[in-house]
Amino acid sequence: MTFEIGLIGRIASTLGEGLTLTLELSASAIVLSAIWAVPVVLVLMSWRRAVAVAGRAYVEIVRNTPILVQMYFIFFGLSMAGYRLSGFTAGLIALTLQNGAYIAEIYRAGIQSISPRQTEAGLAIGMTPGAVFRIVVFPQALRRVLPPLANQGVVIIKDTSLVAVLSVAELTFQARLLADRTAAVYEIFLTLALLYLVLTTAFSALMRLVEWRLRIVQ
Amino acid sequence: MLGLLAANLPLLMRGVGVTLMLTALAGIMATLCGLALAFVQLFGGRVVRIIAEICLYVVRGVPLLVLLFAMYYALPYAGIVMDPMTGGALVIGLYFAAFMAEVFRGAMLAVPQGQWEAGRSIGLRTPGILRHIVLPQAIRVASPPYINTVIMLVKGTSLVSVIGLSDVTFVGVQIVERTLAPFEIFGAVAVIYFLINFALSRCGIWLERKTGFVH
Repeated sequence: MTFEIGLIGRIASTLGEGLTLTLELSASAIVLSAIWAVPVVLVLMSWRRAVAVAGRAYVEIVRNTPILVQMYFIFFGLSMAGYRLSGFTAGLIALTLQNGAYIAEIYRAGIQSISPRQTEAGLAIGMTPGAVFRIVVFPQALRRVLPPLANQGVVIIKDTSLVAVLSVAELTFQARLLADRTAAVYEIFLTLALLYLVLTTAFSALMRLVEWRLRIVQ
Repeated sequence: MLGLLAANLPLLMRGVGVTLMLTALAGIMATLCGLALAFVQLFGGRVVRIIAEICLYVVRGVPLLVLLFAMYYALPYAGIVMDPMTGGALVIGLYFAAFMAEVFRGAMLAVPQGQWEAGRSIGLRTPGILRHIVLPQAIRVASPPYINTVIMLVKGTSLVSVIGLSDVTFVGVQIVERTLAPFEIFGAVAVIYFLINFALSRCGIWLERKTGFVH
């Protein structure tokens, strides 16, 4: 078994098709998870005990079960119930439900890391609770939330590979097809791993740029 | 629904056995390699440190599924034939070793530098400082994220179902193909994983209390 650099060029077009789908899925999953986490964190931090407990139950269930099982549950379960979903949609729902729970915890930690004294101070000078959150808490929490959010984004990008088992023709699925058809396994999997590495590195770099732009200059 | 679950429970339990076995093998490997990597990063020479850094970077940026597929497809071409259990445990163990290394390294760095200096000033050498001063404190810091990583590892073992190892996820898929009852069966599989992880997080709380200091 030898390694041929030339083969990478020939498998590139097939992998390129998969790459488009992986990018699409990653971007939508990251955005949707970050949005879905907002109502989740509101529920988690609710004053009403029953509501908070329900939110906690959702987060614990989702975080303690594999995303693969969740994907199967949604994909086969909903199609059995008469709602035919594409593998892409089912995967996107599972990715959003799972990572939304993780991101909600990140948001919660970020908000709670801002000292309650600041909220009290804001209320004491006559600001409305909404204004306190908008002007005092949110700008500080946002900056603390960004680094763990970047990590979760990397997790999402890596987890998009799992939709390959639902026959979505993304990067990993295409690589597996190529590996079945050709014998150039070294070239294929090396390229595949490199592509993911580039994706995750680029995303981390992008998030660090955002962090840098939002830094507080003193 | 209960009849369906009762009829398939023995099969699922056999899958649970495989999942637990895989978790134990991969977990032990991840812990040992993670410790080794953390020590290399903290105390190793420059060259080994850079090599360890590169390995960690690669593993953290590539999906576990890709590594499993690479093992499954590429190793036979290199003349290495492994049964799925060994191969799966090896890949999962090494993959999570990277995350464990971060946990252990972070915990060691969380112990203030002053403790090292204090140890030195009373005449202890590095091994003595580690054993009597730094490690007991580091273990306490490390135990919550350590258990989190083990839970990630348990969830990660579900991926071996894709390379044909009959763990509980694989068994679930097979039962669904036969019974066409995805909600019940995948629900049961999810409950099984939840119970395993719940037990683990209880262990974590116990471990934290056990390694904690009484104030």
